[in-house]
Parts: sequence; structure tokens; C-alpha cells
Amino acid sequence: MNVDYSVEEPVVHGRLSLAEIEDLVVKPLDSKPNKKFYIALSISGSLLLIGAVLVLFTFYYGIGLWGNNQPVGWAFGIVNFVFWIGIGHAGTLISAILFLLRQKWRTGIARFAEAMTIFAVMCAGIFPIIHTGRPWLAGYLMPYPNQHGLWVNFSSPLVWDVFAVSTYFTVSLVFWYTGLIPDFATLRDRTTSKIKKTIYSLFSLGWRHSHRHWLHYEKAYTLLAGFATPLVLSVHTIVSFDFAVSLLPGWHSTIFPPYFVAGAIFSGFAMVATVLILVRKIFDLQQIITLDHLEKMNKVILVTSMMVGLAYGTELFMAWYSGVTVEKFAFFNRAFGPYAWAYWVMVVCNVLFPQLFWIRKIRRSIPIMMVIVILVNVGMWFERFVIIVTSLHRDFLPSSWGMFVPTLYDIGILAGSFGLFFTLVILFTKALPVISISEIKAVSDGAQPSHHRGENHE
Amino acid sequence: MSNERKIYGVAALFTKPDDIIKAASKVANEGYSKWDVNTPYPLHGMDNAMKLKPSKLGFITLFCGLSGTALILMLTYFTNSIDFPLVIGGKQFFALPAYIPITFEITVLLATVSTVIAMLTFFFKFPSNNHVLHDTPYMKKVSLDHFGIVIEVSDPKFEQSKVEELLRSFDPESIEIIYHKEEIKYPIFEPKFITFLIIVALAVSGGTYITLNKLMFITPFDWMMYQDKVIPQSRIELFKDERGMRTPVEGTVAKGFIPYPYLGVDEPPEYLSNPLIPSRENLKLGKKKFLTYCSPCHGNFGDGDSRLHDQFPNPPTLHSQRIRNFEDGRFYHIITNGKNVMPSYTAQINRNERWAIVNYIRVLHRAKNATERDLELVTKETATNVAN
Amino acid sequence: MSQIDVNYQKKELPEKLFKMGIILLVIGVILGLIGFFVDPTRASFNYLIAYTFLISIAVGALFLIALEYATGAIWSVPFRRVTEFFAAIIPLLLILVIPLLFNMHNLFHWTHEEVVAGDKILQGKAPYLNVSFFVIRAFVIIGIWSLFYFFLTRNSLKQDSSGDQKLTGKNIKLSAVFIVIFAITISITSFDWLMSVEPHWFSSIFGIYYFSGTVVAALAAVTLAVVLLKEKGYLPEKITSDHLYSLGALMFVFVNFWAYIAFSQYLIIWYADLPEETFWFLQKWEGSWAIFSILLIVIQFLVPFVALLSKPAKMNPKRLKFIAIWLLFAHLFDLYWLVMPQMPGLEGGYVFSWIDFVFPIATVGFVILIFAMKAKKENLIPVGDPKLERGLDFHL
Repeated sequence: MNVDYSVEEPVVHGRLSLAEIEDLVVKPLDSKPNKKFYIALSISGSLLLIGAVLVLFTFYYGIGLWGNNQPVGWAFGIVNFVFWIGIGHAGTLISAILFLLRQKWRTGIARFAEAMTIFAVMCAGIFPIIHTGRPWLAGYLMPYPNQHGLWVNFSSPLVWDVFAVSTYFTVSLVFWYTGLIPDFATLRDRTTSKIKKTIYSLFSLGWRHSHRHWLHYEKAYTLLAGFATPLVLSVHTIVSFDFAVSLLPGWHSTIFPPYFVAGAIFSGFAMVATVLILVRKIFDLQQIITLDHLEKMNKVILVTSMMVGLAYGTELFMAWYSGVTVEKFAFFNRAFGPYAWAYWVMVVCNVLFPQLFWIRKIRRSIPIMMVIVILVNVGMWFERFVIIVTSLHRDFLPSSWGMFVPTLYDIGILAGSFGLFFTLVILFTKALPVISISEIKAVSDGAQPSHHRGENHE
Repeated sequence: MSNERKIYGVAALFTKPDDIIKAASKVANEGYSKWDVNTPYPLHGMDNAMKLKPSKLGFITLFCGLSGTALILMLTYFTNSIDFPLVIGGKQFFALPAYIPITFEITVLLATVSTVIAMLTFFFKFPSNNHVLHDTPYMKKVSLDHFGIVIEVSDPKFEQSKVEELLRSFDPESIEIIYHKEEIKYPIFEPKFITFLIIVALAVSGGTYITLNKLMFITPFDWMMYQDKVIPQSRIELFKDERGMRTPVEGTVAKGFIPYPYLGVDEPPEYLSNPLIPSRENLKLGKKKFLTYCSPCHGNFGDGDSRLHDQFPNPPTLHSQRIRNFEDGRFYHIITNGKNVMPSYTAQINRNERWAIVNYIRVLHRAKNATERDLELVTKETATNVAN
Repeated sequence: MSQIDVNYQKKELPEKLFKMGIILLVIGVILGLIGFFVDPTRASFNYLIAYTFLISIAVGALFLIALEYATGAIWSVPFRRVTEFFAAIIPLLLILVIPLLFNMHNLFHWTHEEVVAGDKILQGKAPYLNVSFFVIRAFVIIGIWSLFYFFLTRNSLKQDSSGDQKLTGKNIKLSAVFIVIFAITISITSFDWLMSVEPHWFSSIFGIYYFSGTVVAALAAVTLAVVLLKEKGYLPEKITSDHLYSLGALMFVFVNFWAYIAFSQYLIIWYADLPEETFWFLQKWEGSWAIFSILLIVIQFLVPFVALLSKPAKMNPKRLKFIAIWLLFAHLFDLYWLVMPQMPGLEGGYVFSWIDFVFPIATVGFVILIFAMKAKKENLIPVGDPKLERGLDFHL
């Protein structure tokens, strides 16, 4: 295939004009939902409802309804939490890190990915709250002056999680909203419905596209992106500390922080790809979310898959090299013990299948891509399952070993979290522009003045 | 009518980025200060064209971020090193490595949130939905795909014809005069608005009431208000008399209490022995209690010659030979059980006091039957001591 | 597009650069040899540090080149050739490693058979930590690196005259493969040469730790070269402070990345407090080593962080020059801190020796010499690269 490296590839295909771009992006907001929308919403809504009902049961009858036991005191609750937080990271990465790296292809997918981050963090946040059993007492976990003179344990990684996830959610929300302000203004100026106009005016805060404002806006956006980047790394690092700072074989490994971060980006990109493939088809956005963009995302998935594979290999090697018997056993047990099936699902889905992305044809084939990224999501869920459950179910004392079997409630609540996520995504597509209108206009052909030689910069 | 409206400024619209960059540089060079450029997205090079100084937002970020760092380090230091020092995991009180993750998070949180808030409130002075440019055709075009320049009337160099000429020289797509909007007065007492307020008030108060007083108390969220225990004064069908409050069962004694076994027995098979030594305090106590409870009938010295003499069946003198031969425990039994007309004094005099009284009775016996030696002792004492 | 009108006139680098390289190298080598006779253990350790430092610069440079190809970066194209010059050291590692292999006895406990015989843990590691496998690994890895260096730079050089875009395509594929192999081999290298100095200790993140230091050092070397060359007018005028900003930003990012990895490693081991892991850090707290440990944080993180925080700082040539030299020193300091406290005799604290200063001198001379030699033969910028024009026009 012949690529001319001396010219820059256009971000938006088809030489669309600014008005055409805006019309394409805003169309879902102006049109009434169609049958497909309602079908999709009812599927995800049902899952959500099932999950909600099972959660209410859990509140009423207690955590005994779940499969948790001794020794596996942490199971689906924390697996789901780590899974969803991981998925959230792709959004911030696409939004913030690719922005800082001046990768213009992020523009078509950044808004969507940020929204997915926020929804994923919401799904994730449910689990620490419900797994306490009496979540209505959760306020007591905050540091407030009390008669006992008690404070929270700032040395505990679980408390670090509280800070990390709250900060992550807040910053993601602020970042997302900041990006939305110019779009709200655009929507306000083009809508004819009075109610919508009021709402958009409210949320746009009176933005009037003044360049004196754009100056500060761009600075703020860069600062936010600059902070969001280490934040994303820190959040999943702190989540990895939940495990790494313990003594448990299979958990206590210094590679956990970057390994978890790579895994989070990996699973996040896979989920973003899954949703984007569907969205661009349903909303006819193929010229803005192009096959090139999907190909680039697949390259990122390939890279992070290999990082995760390298981490698997390093851990295996280090388990042997350390000479620590319990550590060696922990890994032997993972591959050949009673949960070996989960381990091999993880390895095959995470390391083997994504290798197909070395082949350019596969990177650009929508059906195969879809299968691989869904498998990646499955594999990454199993990775957390393998890490948590296999290390817990057989640790130091053989007399304490046990098995974990998930109950219907565990599985149902996991399904419910997917329901929540997809419901929010589906509603989002109809409520807000899925692509940042101002950003995509800024990177389209001929959008920037030419005395800087045009398009080859941020 | 339009001649009466106040002018805000003159605007020009362009369709090509290059055009507006050139126009903007020229306007800046002409020395205007109250003017602005409106574009649907930021154009590169516009900062320089408008001769704008770089944004100072970064300083706020730095300051607030560092404040966050300081605050959280102070909080962790205070809570775990000063207020409630706890040894956690065998580490020192101020376990700095463990506090680094939180410190980082709070730094980022404060830095980012303060940046955005400062930008919106301080730099932009938002929300400003009533700005002149809103709802003008100019704004609608600029929101979509045009680029515009506005030069305001309030600029000292403004002169309408000169400005229009200048803008025309850039060859724009169109030129528009922006007028201030008419001031529409909204009377407060409009019926629709009042109705709306009332409905909102009702909805909010009703909703709050239902939520806080009803919903918040559905089991299991009921703050332990409804418990399966019997509260005082309540009915309970478990018992025949339906009383929630029960009296102690027959024969109940206090914990650690050993009941006097010969209550109600006139001639007990044995008498208890006196556990109290006749120390000064005990004797003082005995004297006090004797004078309080016993002397009304028995007299101050146990002679049986009290005020109630002849008005009440006389108790015998306590100094007869027979009574002087009583054991201590027999006195105790009489005080506890009562004898003949004398009632039981268990309600008024506790066990300790009863034994003290018995000791005092012995004192009285000795006093009434003093020996030579006793007198000597008394003399000796009065000779050497001041009156006690 | 083949030749671009970029007005590149090849200027010869001054002779004195060449001379400086040779003089420093010769001084370093002679003093080094004396050092070997005076204190072979000390000299071996310092040679090890210099060797791993050179790997950082050379293989790190190749990694940067591969990263540029794989990500399609534009801004770094004008000085990719400078980076290639640093990578030219790689094949020479085959020779440089030999003195180390002859001195393994002075460096690694696990080469002493009596020690291994009495130690069950070391016996367990013997299938990996034995002399023959170690030597094979060393040569195979350098061999693989050399192959990739050879092919990548050959394509890049060929393109100078032919301008053939297919060569870029080939290099992109090579780069992608190289990055994977680099990750594996740099981890193994760090385990072999740095982690096994204390064979009882282990840390799964160690490979990444060395990697982070490597990238910082390679970036610092490239930045220093670019700033110096630009100042003296050897590079086209179109390389502006915008390009420098990108270099400065990358250095800043990787300094932070190093701090993140170093802190993660420390926190996890500190928190669990397992003696089999903490002793390594405790060794670096004995006596005067504690000062080194504190200094490491200051030198490798705090100072560069503050110095490169603001945007103007990242674009300022003077600041970048200073920080580049600082970071090169910092990486050397890091490597020193990693291995020296394990040297027999230095467990109680740092003891001064002139030998410590000899090998860095030789290293600096060596790098300058290789750079000057390559610059003599080849263009300083990749004139045939199709992305060159866009790269030179790069603006923030």
C-alpha cells in the first residue's frame, strides 16, 4: 500500500464543510428516537433493573447473598470495581494524553470517550459502596471530628482509593464539562425549541465564542489535560496498591502499578472501540470517526496487550527467580489449579487474540475488530478475577484453602452494571453531541489559517 | 424604532480563517482596545494577531495545587501524629510514604477545580447569558461557521463611520450593527410566576418531608427507630396481665446479696457474728444511728426511759443481766426481725449500721457497768487530753 | 518528494571535538587500567556502571528512533540522525562487554561456587544465574540490538540519497518489532547486570525502573546534542524553540515517570515490610548511603521537576542544556546508587575513591568520539526523509 509520508492525513474525510460537520453531529439531538433506540434502551434498561433489584435484595438480606466466603473475602465486588475503573481510563487517555501528544485523530472520539469515563467511574463507584453491606452508613467513612476522636486510616490503600476515585470522577466531570461549554453555546444558537434553548443557555453559561475567552480556555484545557494525565496513572496505581501493598503471594509484586495502568488502558480502549464501532454505524459518523482512527486505536490495543503480556511474563519469571515457595505455588496454581480455565481465558483473550492486530487487514476489518475487542473485555475481567480469587483462595496455609462460587446475585449485579453503563451511553447519544463540535471543526480541512502552513500542528 | 436603540458596536463577518487573522492584526495595530474576535473554535495565531498577553491562569493552578498539598499533609500529620497517634503496620506516626498518594490526588483535585472555577468566574465573569451579543444574527453565524470581529462603541477611538470603513476594507462577507436589546421589565407579581413559585414551594417542601420523614425511615434505613424490644409503659400480650413492665419474681435478690436467713423466725437456730471492729468511726456511726433510731423508745442510754415513757409500751432496760448476756448476733436478729411491739428495722438501718449499733450498745453496757480500771482509764485520758 | 529545498549545507564538526573525545577516552582508559590493578573490585563496579550507562544512551536512543517511526511523529524527524549517532555505540557494546565478562567474579556473588553451594536460594536461581547462560544472554541481546540498529540506520541513510518512501514503511515495521524486543531485552539486561548484583533480592518492576532511567538519559543526550549543535549553527534555522519545547516536555514527562516507578517500587516494599525485600533498601540507608538516597530524589526528581515545570523553561536553550547535563549526571548517579552499596567493603557507607571518577570521564570521551566520527561520515539531518519538511515546519 502506498502512503505518502510527506503529507498529513486528513482527520475528517470527505472535505466536509463546517456546517456539514455540525449538522452531522447535531442530528441525533434534533431527531426523535427511533425504534432501534428504544430496543437498545430496553435491553440495557432491563439489565439495569435486574441489577438494581438484586442490589436492593442485597441491602435487605445482607452480603450473605453473594458468594463471598473465607478465604475469598473479596470477589466480584472488587473485581467489578477494578474492571470499571480500568475502562474509565481510556477516556481520559484519549482525551488528555493524546491531546498532549498532539494526536489530532483523538478529536472525533474524545468527547465520547470522556463520557464513557464518567459513566464507567459511576459504575465502578457503586461497588465499594454496596459491598460494605450497610451503605447508608457510608458517611461515617469520611474524616469528620467525632466524640471517639477517631480518624480514617490515611495509611490504608482503601482510603487512598476513596480520594483517588473521587478526584478522578470530579476532574473527569470538570474536564468533560469544560469541553462541552462551547458546544452548549453552539446548540443554544441553533435550536428553535424554547425549552432546549433555556437549558442550553444555562449550561453554556453565556459563552459567546470570544477569542479573549478562547485564550484562557485553551490554557485551562491544556492544564486540565496536563493534570488528568498523571491523575489517570495515579488512580489505577492506587487501585493496584490495594493488592500490591499486601503480603499475599500473587498480589505483592512491585510491577503492579504500571501493569494495572497498562491493563486499564487496554481494557478501556477495547470498550471504547466496541461502543464507537456501534455509534459510528448508527449515527452515520463514518467520515468523522474514520477507519483510520479505529486502526490507530487497534494499534494502541496491540501495544497495551503486549505490555500486559510482558507483565505476565515478568511476574512468572520473578515468581520463579525469587525462590519464594508460596509465590511459585501461587502462579502454578493459577495456571494449573482449579481456576486454570479462568487463567487460560485471560491469557488467550488478552495476549493471543490481540496479536492478530499485527496484520493490517485485520486492523481495518470491522467485524473481526469487534470480536477481538469484546474478547479483550472478557479477558480483562478475567484477569482481575484470576488475580483476586486465585490469590485469595489458596494462600499460605493449606488448611485455610477454599473455593469461590459466584451466586446469581454476583452475576446479576455485574450484568446490572453493564446495564447502567450502556443505558447512560445510549441516553448520552441523544442528549449531548457525541463529538466535540468546536474541536472537530478546528481540525477539519482548511479550518486553520494557512500562514502556519496549515494543518500540521495542534 | 431602531433609531432610538443604543448601539453596542459594529461587527464584520468572514468565512476564511486567513482573512480574519489579517483583519484582526490590522485592528490591533490601529490601536483599538475594546474589541473582540468571535470564532466557533480557536484559530491558531489569533493570540499574536490580537496582541494578547499569555493567560495568567497557570499561577492560580500552581497556588491552589500547592495549597492542596499543604492542607492534606497538615491534615494527615494532625490526625495521625497529634490528635490520635496510632501505630499502623509498624510504621512511624507520620508515615509520609503512605500519605503521598493522597497528597498527590488532593493537589490535582484542588489545582484543576480551582483553575476551572477561576476561569469561569474571574476571567470570564460567567454566567453572562444577558450579554448583548446573544441572540443576534451575528452570534448565530459565528456559532456555526463564520468568524467575526466586533469593535465596541465604548472604545475611546470609536467613530462609527471610520470603523465601518476600516471593516469594509477587509472585504468581509457582511457588516452588521449590533444594538443593545430593549429592556423588558418583568413584573414580579405576574400570576403565572406566582403560581409557579407556589407549586415549587409545595413540591420542594412536600418532597423534603416525604423523603426525610417517610422514605428515610423505611427498614432497613430506619436509624433503629423501630426495634423489637419492649419499651417502658407499653403493652405486651406475652403476659397474662399484658404489662410490659414486670416486678421482680418472688424471692429475687440483688446480685451478690445474701438474704438474712432467719427473717420471720422468732427463735433462730444460730446467730450471726459481728464483722465490725469497734473502731472509732464504727462507734461514732453506731452512736449516731442508735440516737436516731433506737433512743426514741430505748432512751439515750438504753435505760428504757425515753420521752415515750408511759405513752407507749416500755421497752425493757438494755442493761439487765439477761440482755447483757445476749450475743451480738442476737441483738442483730432483734433489730432485723423485730420483737413484740418493736418492728423490723431492715428498711431504715442497713446491715453495717445494725452491727455498729450493736457495738454501741456494748459501749453503753460498759459505761453503765464500768470497772475501776475503766474509770482509771477515763481519768487518765481526761488528765492528759483536751476534752474530746 | 525526494530532495527538499531545506538548504542543508553539511558543515564539518570542529576538529577539537574529535580531539576532546580522544583525549578524554585515552585518559579514562589509562586511569581505568591503573584502577583495575589498584582495586579490581572497585574498578569492575565502576565499569559496570559506565557500561549500563552506555546501554542507556545507546539503546535508549535506538528506542527513541523506533518510537518516532512507530508513532508517526513529525517534530523529531529533523534530528533523528543525531539520535542515530548515539545509537551507533550499540555494536561496540559487543567489545565493551568483554572486560566485564572477565570480571564477573568481582561483581556477582552468584559466580562464586562456594557461596552458591551453601545457599539454597542461590542454588534455586542457578538455572538462570550461571556464567554460561549469562554470557550467552549478554551476547545474544547485544547481537539483536546490533541487528536492529544496522537495519534501521541503513534504511535511514539510504533514504538520504534515494528519498524512497518505502524505506520509511520498512522502518516502521522494524520499529514496531524492535519496541517489543526492546522491552523484553532491556528488562533482562537490567535483571542480569544490575539486579543480580544482589542475588537474594528481586523486584518485578526493576526492568521498568531501568527503562525509565534509560529514556531520561537518552532524551537528555539528544537534547544536549541538539541544543549545542543548534547554537553553533550546524542545524537548520527552522529547528526552533518549538522543537526544543517538545524535547523539554518529553524529558519532564519521563522524569516524572521515573519518580513514579521509583516511588511505586519503594512504597510497595516499605509497606509490606518483608525482610527479604526491605534489606536492599535498608542497605542503601546505612551510614553515608542515606545521604546518597536522599540526594537521588533531589537530583533525579525534585530539581528537574521544578526546573522544567513552566512552558518557557521547556523551550529555553540554556535551561535545557543545563538540565540535560544534570540529568545525564543524575542517571549515572542512579546507577551508582543501585550497585555500589552492595560492593564488598562499602556496606557501612560510602568510601571515597578516585576510581569512581575515571570511568565517567572515559564514557564521556567515548560518546563524543563516536558521535564525532559518525558526524564526519554522514549528514546531520535525514535529508531524504519524506517527513522532514513537515518536521522543520513544526509549530506548537
